Amino acid sequence: MDKGKNNERKEVFTVSSGMEVKRVYEQSDLADGVDSRLGEPGAYPFTRGVQSTMYRGRFWTMRQYAGFGSAKQTNERFRYLLQQGQTGLSTAFDLPTQIGYDADHPFALGEVGKVGVSISSLADMEVLFDQIPLDQVSTSMTINAPAAILLAMYIAVGEKQGVSMDKLSGTIQNDILKEYVARGTYIFPPGPSMRLITNIFEFCAKKLPKFNTISISGYHIREAGSTAVQEVAFTLANARAYVNAALSAGLHIDEFAPRLSFFFNAHNLFFEEIAKYRAARRIWARMMKEEFGAENAKSLQLRFHTQTGGSTLTAQQPDNNIVRVTLQALAAVLGGTQSLHTNSRDEALALPTEDSARIALRTQQIIAHESGVADTVDPLGGSYYMEALTDTIEKQVLDYLRVIDEMGGAVSAIEQGYMQREIHNAAYETQRAIERKDEIVVGVNAFTVENEKVPELLRVDESIEREAKANLLQLKATRDQQAVESTLNALRSAAKGDDNLMPYILDAVRVYATLGEIANVLRDEFGEYKPV
Amino acid sequence: MNRPIRVLIAKPGLDGHDRGALVVAQGLRDEGLEVIYTGLRQTVDQIIATAIQEDVDCIGLSSLSGAHMTLFPAVVEGLRQRGIDDILIIGGGVIPPEDVLELKKKGLAEVFTPGSTIGEMAEFIRNHIIKKGELVLFEPPSQVDHIGIAVADLDQTLAFYRDHLGFAVVHEEDIPDQKVHAVFLQAGELHIELLLSTSDDGPIGKFVASKGPGIHHIAYRVDDVAAWLERSRLAGHRLIDETPRPGGQNKWIGFIHPKSSHGVLTEYCQITDKE
Repeated sequence: MDKGKNNERKEVFTVSSGMEVKRVYEQSDLADGVDSRLGEPGAYPFTRGVQSTMYRGRFWTMRQYAGFGSAKQTNERFRYLLQQGQTGLSTAFDLPTQIGYDADHPFALGEVGKVGVSISSLADMEVLFDQIPLDQVSTSMTINAPAAILLAMYIAVGEKQGVSMDKLSGTIQNDILKEYVARGTYIFPPGPSMRLITNIFEFCAKKLPKFNTISISGYHIREAGSTAVQEVAFTLANARAYVNAALSAGLHIDEFAPRLSFFFNAHNLFFEEIAKYRAARRIWARMMKEEFGAENAKSLQLRFHTQTGGSTLTAQQPDNNIVRVTLQALAAVLGGTQSLHTNSRDEALALPTEDSARIALRTQQIIAHESGVADTVDPLGGSYYMEALTDTIEKQVLDYLRVIDEMGGAVSAIEQGYMQREIHNAAYETQRAIERKDEIVVGVNAFTVENEKVPELLRVDESIEREAKANLLQLKATRDQQAVESTLNALRSAAKGDDNLMPYILDAVRVYATLGEIANVLRDEFGEYKPV
Repeated sequence: MNRPIRVLIAKPGLDGHDRGALVVAQGLRDEGLEVIYTGLRQTVDQIIATAIQEDVDCIGLSSLSGAHMTLFPAVVEGLRQRGIDDILIIGGGVIPPEDVLELKKKGLAEVFTPGSTIGEMAEFIRNHIIKKGELVLFEPPSQVDHIGIAVADLDQTLAFYRDHLGFAVVHEEDIPDQKVHAVFLQAGELHIELLLSTSDDGPIGKFVASKGPGIHHIAYRVDDVAAWLERSRLAGHRLIDETPRPGGQNKWIGFIHPKSSHGVLTEYCQITDKE
């Protein structure tokens, strides 16, 4: 091995965000006032965790993202996961659903049921949650541009089960800004998109007090190739934009802020990830208190879901991914996550098989029940390295936030392509580093094997698309067409004005207006986003 | 092939994952290719229209949403229906190995899955665009022109080829800049060229000293040595001759290194009118 000038493996050791890692950390690496920067667990500024007891009270929610094919197939997978001890549901929708097209739309060609379940109307949603009592599970839905429509469908399913809105708990992702930046399932331009989001905040504050109205997501920003600092910085910049939009719409900070939640990645660099979560909590608490004057302690608490990093998985020697996921999951737990999705080993090749999904869940259960890491709160707190890293990430995030603020905030920075460029540059640098072998990916650019056996993979049946189309035809032939038209017309007039759109959407959904029909009304009124 | 190779990177369908597409686009640009990126959510027809309008040599399709089996072949088919079969089509994304085979049957030249490097992709594109050009611009060599054999003792070698096998000597000359005396025998359609070094420090002298007498090179008869050397250069071959030079029998010749032709020193050789 080529030893650097210090007789070490590298000339310089760094974390993803560029900070140089020193050989050893000492007391002198920490600025004064560590104790006040940390605080007690469950107390401001929440660096050590949002609850005082953390996992001594209750483990994090083990929430595996699942969904593929038809509503019926996904319903079966949901019930399997609940039976296996999973404690919350997380719904993956297919791309047509996420972009507001029914399964029979020409743009849906080849995409129906592929990356998630296909939902075109309340009828599909009823099947999806068949025999799953909505007052007993919490359901997370990865849905953004048409979040209001899917939330309305979920409410309507509850009504049919006899579960009132106030009993529903769960999360909608509802984070449109990161769609423009990193994930791509936008429909409308930023202005009307922000209106829909604040409509949901307002509606839920009154009617669904247990529902997380948004999951402000760094996950996809990181997957798109950002550094850890960019992940937190851009997420918090987006969060600030949502808060400002809600305040402008006349909401009071403590009315909606307790229901804001976050979603972060768990990537490879173990300590950097843990420090990232801790820094994010601290910055958010200060921002909410100092900038927005929030008083409710819940408004100050950054609660987050974590998913292990999909882009770290390799198609080569896929069983190695179990080990990667274990380390990433451990970082999320040591960082104090509220819920966790662990990826399956075969996801660089296809959607996970049932066997792979079970191993992924078992990984969390082993960490929870066997490792003992959950028995004390923030066990790395006070480590010189951990605190120095947390402080540095905080500082670098604040620098980014200042830049974005000077650009006029997150929406403006996105419209100028700033976040997108920063992320792309980081992604490209990573790819180059891998090709130069400055970064080693085990099984890919080192320790490779010839003639690998391909594992058994899950295949989505192509007949799903035909079935979904047939179901739509059937639905349109049997529903009350007049009711559909009158509710859609009411929605159209409301969209032209300033009313909260949620009640109108709920009315349309109840009479089986389809997702595509509702989204089309809004497309007509709001226009469509054209990327920069 | 004067302009750089032009590649269209396209995202068919509704998939929003474009980190791969963007990184590949920039990487190929840094490799010297000209790259156009479509942006997200392109229909098959939009991709074909852009490819035609931009006159691209290659389309790189990216999908991570599982729609590749529907959308990738639809692009190939759409191009065929418009009578276009000279655009190289490659793909990438989260694609299971068995689908890769199927996509290749359906007309994709290659599929690059996670872990592929930009270098590999650029090399593949260069090699295949050039191969594609071959059909249009080049005739393959018409025949083996001659086989060059390095000899240590000309008289004893002639005793075998001329006296034992009975091939006629048709031409004989000194090639001073190669420090070699060449004797050509007619063997059916082609010549055997016996090469006797006239000096120990010439190429044949060194060859015989290190390897002993034996087959030295194979020469292929082509229409245009200069064009073939350029093709080799574009394909990344190591050239011994950058430009054609005169060889025996008033032919134009040019050599490429055996490293690039899998162990055989290879000569392109063009008959001139002077013969």
